[in-house]
Amino acid sequence: MTHAFSFPSAKRVSLSGTGALAALLLATLCLPTHAAHANAAEDGTPGSTPVERGQYLTRASDCEVCHTAPGGMPYAGGRAFKLPGMGVVYSTNITADKQHGVGTWSDEEFVAAVKQGVSPGGKHLYPAMPYPAYSRLSDQDVRDIRAYLATLPTSASAAPENKLRFPFSIRSLMIFWNIVNGPASAYPDDTTKSDQWNRGRWLVEGAGHCADCHSPRTLTFGLSTSKAFGGNMLNGWRIYNISSDRKTGIGGWTDAELAQYLSTGHADGHGTASGDMADVIGHSLRYLTPADIQAMVTYLRSTKPVSTPQDAVTFRNVASGDASLPQNSRGARLYASACAGCHLPDGTGRQSSFASIAGGRSLGADNGRNLIQVLVNGSGLQTATGVQIMPHFTGGGLSNRDLADIAAFVMTHFTTAQPHDLEKQVEQIKKDQD
Amino acid sequence: MPTLMINGQPHSVDVDADTPLLWVLRDILGLNAAKFGCGIAQCGACTVYVDGKAVRACNLPVGLVGERAITTPEGLDMADPIVRAIKSAWVELDVVQCGYCQPGQVMAAVALLRTTPNPTDEQIDSAMSGNMCRCGTYMRIRAAIHHAAGELA
Repeated sequence: MTHAFSFPSAKRVSLSGTGALAALLLATLCLPTHAAHANAAEDGTPGSTPVERGQYLTRASDCEVCHTAPGGMPYAGGRAFKLPGMGVVYSTNITADKQHGVGTWSDEEFVAAVKQGVSPGGKHLYPAMPYPAYSRLSDQDVRDIRAYLATLPTSASAAPENKLRFPFSIRSLMIFWNIVNGPASAYPDDTTKSDQWNRGRWLVEGAGHCADCHSPRTLTFGLSTSKAFGGNMLNGWRIYNISSDRKTGIGGWTDAELAQYLSTGHADGHGTASGDMADVIGHSLRYLTPADIQAMVTYLRSTKPVSTPQDAVTFRNVASGDASLPQNSRGARLYASACAGCHLPDGTGRQSSFASIAGGRSLGADNGRNLIQVLVNGSGLQTATGVQIMPHFTGGGLSNRDLADIAAFVMTHFTTAQPHDLEKQVEQIKKDQD
Repeated sequence: MPTLMINGQPHSVDVDADTPLLWVLRDILGLNAAKFGCGIAQCGACTVYVDGKAVRACNLPVGLVGERAITTPEGLDMADPIVRAIKSAWVELDVVQCGYCQPGQVMAAVALLRTTPNPTDEQIDSAMSGNMCRCGTYMRIRAAIHHAAGELA
């Protein structure tokens, strides 16, 4: 996953006068404690050895996606995180290599990096690393993750140097960021809720760090709590609202649909995960136990509904059968030749359920933003039966207008959306790709 | 690995679940009528049926097929009036030029007439647009489908 940062350039957090000093002091006093916590949240992790538990936790925490460069060696780092207005941060090598990885770190140093965002030598990490969420993990969890990582091949390559503009290049700024925005700390079970809910909260808010993509950011780039899980914008994609709102979040999904989506990347009637979410499913969620998936569903059901009108989609009833596509517009003709081969005229998917796009939010939401992202960038989802590929359609003679026409047809054929300026949107997304 | 049911015959193949069906058909079982064209379900040359529905074999992992019935172009039965009408129309109107795409075209055309016995031009375009022909025989394909539909009527 990638995390786009947006520190406000001029309006920094205004901590002025004695009130601010008091707030600082108070916040400092509230910094994380490391009380051991045996609870329902922790008990669900399977595995009988530290390495087995560590493997599960490494996957649940989705370490691999961010700590691997595209096509690179797993966990060797080097994935670029473009932070608009700030620069580029690269993920680090977390293999056990002694020079470039974490091979010489003590367990305590590794735990401090993961949970407090401070690596050896007092070097503060940037919160592209979701240490505020990982602070929900116990120290033992993090030691187990390390034990697992230590069993993997090492890489002797260093991640590229970050390219950050002043003043963001000053790592110690993060001390102040941490005071305002976290990290939180391990929390005890909420005894008014079920064990399943507590485990789900820990998976969603802790290891899974879902909010890091799915919650909007505040002015100081902390995670919004008032609009938690209400969706966000990252790298030109709309990260969808996963709050319990019925219309614009996941409140209208059944438990079975949510579980199917989280564990396979596809839910009948809701389409298939693409973009960064496909990576999250492929490298992380599909390895979780059914009990953990159910726990996540239970917790996600309980979030506060946040309404985001740009995500609202009304679907049409669409005729089925290969002969059913209207052929009266460029978009319809292009859809028949380029898309229906896999997706079928009614979007239900020709050979594989993963090709079923019927009911997918991207078909109509947000003026086709994610739809065009998928057309331009393609998508790949690792499944139990191999990688399911949606090819990108930027080559093969399809012009920006062709892609815009396909998108316009899809949006109006499957949904009641009224698309506008799609060709500009295609141009912009292609430009952002470079 | 589940046994694949192809043209009414069971076939046990020892391949990974993510192997595309087309690889199994052509490389392992020697059923070469379905062709490799683009490999990304864009050209239709590899069209086969799964449970009677036209699918692109190049892009279908065998692990997703399960025990559903697969029909390849070799399995089209001339005793079936629709198959016979389409193949006869193809010959009568001399549809084929180089021929590479034609097994897929015939599969798609037969599937079309099964659900839409008397298709309009628009319905033919809708159903046949996923099958490319680099020789450009589209007009003859369309005419042959109309011809076959007329023969069956």
